[in-house]
Amino acid sequence: MALLSLSDISFGIGQHQILRNIAFDVAEGDIVGLIGPNGSGKTTLFNVLSGFLKPSSGAILYREGDITALSAARRSRLGIGRVFQNFGIFRDMTLEENVLVALEALPKDRRIQLGDLRTVVGETLEMVGLSSHAKKKAGCLSGGQMRLLEIARTLKSGKELFLLDEPTAGVSPKMTGQVADLITALKREGKTVLIIEHDLPFIGSICDRVIVMDVGQIVLQGTPGEVKKSKELQEIYFGADPTT
Amino acid sequence: MNFAWHIITLIAIQMPAILGYNFVFGKGKIFHFGPLGVSLITAYASVLTLVHTQSFVLSFVAGLCAALLVSLLFAWLSFRLEADGLGVISLAVHLGLMAVVLNSNVLTRGALGIPGVKRMAFLQSVSDFAIFSGVIAVIAIIAAYFLNRSAFGRRLSALAEHNWYAEAVGVNRRHTHTWAFVIAAIGSTFSNFLFPQYLTLLHPSDYQFHSFVFYIMVIVAGNPGSVLGVATSTALLMILKESIRFIALPAAMIGPVRLMLFGAVLFAAVCWRRDTLFPPKREV
Ligand SMILES: Nc1ncnc2c1ncn2[C@@H]1O[C@H](COP(=O)(O)OP(=O)(O)OP(=O)(O)O)[C@@H](O)[C@H]1O
Ligand SMILES: [Mg+2]
Repeated sequence: MALLSLSDISFGIGQHQILRNIAFDVAEGDIVGLIGPNGSGKTTLFNVLSGFLKPSSGAILYREGDITALSAARRSRLGIGRVFQNFGIFRDMTLEENVLVALEALPKDRRIQLGDLRTVVGETLEMVGLSSHAKKKAGCLSGGQMRLLEIARTLKSGKELFLLDEPTAGVSPKMTGQVADLITALKREGKTVLIIEHDLPFIGSICDRVIVMDVGQIVLQGTPGEVKKSKELQEIYFGADPTT
Repeated sequence: MNFAWHIITLIAIQMPAILGYNFVFGKGKIFHFGPLGVSLITAYASVLTLVHTQSFVLSFVAGLCAALLVSLLFAWLSFRLEADGLGVISLAVHLGLMAVVLNSNVLTRGALGIPGVKRMAFLQSVSDFAIFSGVIAVIAIIAAYFLNRSAFGRRLSALAEHNWYAEAVGVNRRHTHTWAFVIAAIGSTFSNFLFPQYLTLLHPSDYQFHSFVFYIMVIVAGNPGSVLGVATSTALLMILKESIRFIALPAAMIGPVRLMLFGAVLFAAVCWRRDTLFPPKREV
């Protein structure tokens, strides 16, 4: 059974068509990579999935329910978590408050399951080694720390589907390792992940399946091995090779 | 001594309205520039009900209903307009409401205002008023302080910083902002139920643009969103505003001088908080 299913999603602003007839399924527990050149519409697709942008056509099914008309907040409460390309952390709030606000927004039954929210906040910060900064404003964290905090917050607030937009962008190589570990931890916990990345070896090492987008369309999909060998990917990503 | 009581009363009476508005404009960073429109209608609903029914309870309830109605109108506008559009439209709505009040002569006596507003029996002297409104103000400060630190306060801060980020963690913008406007309405009800009684007069000029500038100035100077900061700046700036009376100036000059002083304070406060007042929106 597909956890997420997109059919015929299109989106445009005025005359400018940004997404065209996007359709794919994501099975529960899969890690799916979404790659493509800059401006190919990956972030826009995530914005449509998160509920910030309304598609001009098509439907989005989550756990077999149609969520196309639901607000972003409703989708989040259903278990769709988002990690933003530019760090979706509230910089004017403390680390503690950053986690707490997400836990408090959960549906009531989920909150009760979690028990004492302050304890969960402690565990979340502990998980990414930020306990000692609990009372500090999140604005003073480094990019890598913000990314770790955002992923940990999404995980601890019980999300089932993760939309990660370039989780290693702006993160040092050392921290990239930590981010990768966190993503593998998501897989171990049976979470489903859609991940946008430009780092192809990284995608190859963690994904079950890769979808390649170009100018708002899906041009290729398959296992990382298949996609890597494909000539189309070479052309889209690195430009046409003059020697061939 | 009477002047001290007078100042305390003025500070205390404005406190609930300003702290309520602080949740909308200060903490929520919602560009709602019509709080005086809410105050205006609240005061008229409250006073007219009092004149016609002689009941303070009904007067308060009528004020509350009017405040909720107008405040929720602004909330509704805020969900339909972008920040800049809301700023302009909310000013226009304030002016529109003022025009309605000034032109409904039969009901409101227009620009003349309504004199002889009765005070509640236990509020006959200035000191009674200062103590009673002081107690209300302290309760308002405590309530605002705890609301600010509650889950609601966190949701409001998160939305103010970036509404997409907030919605992505499950914060419902409409729900949260509607509550901010409701809190502002409740604050406004207390202030505008008491204010005409204190003056024993309801005059539309008290709800003009200069009163709005005072609200903005107090919030900007007190640090937008901070309860203790805004409460302190309300007190200090009210003292400053009222002490102009003691400068030997022709009566006609007091108004303009006061506005110039407000302008200077606003200018200084904005310069001082340039980076933090309304931080630029980030891309997702
Ligand atoms: N609000 C907007 N208004 C106009 N055009 C937009 C808007 N948002 C996105 N676009 C356009 O849509 C296209 C896709 O943008 P998007 O951000 O989805 O690309 P992306 O694949 O995430 O790129 P990157 O790898 O650089 O993050 C771009 O051409 C962009 O200019
Ligand atoms: Mg992008």
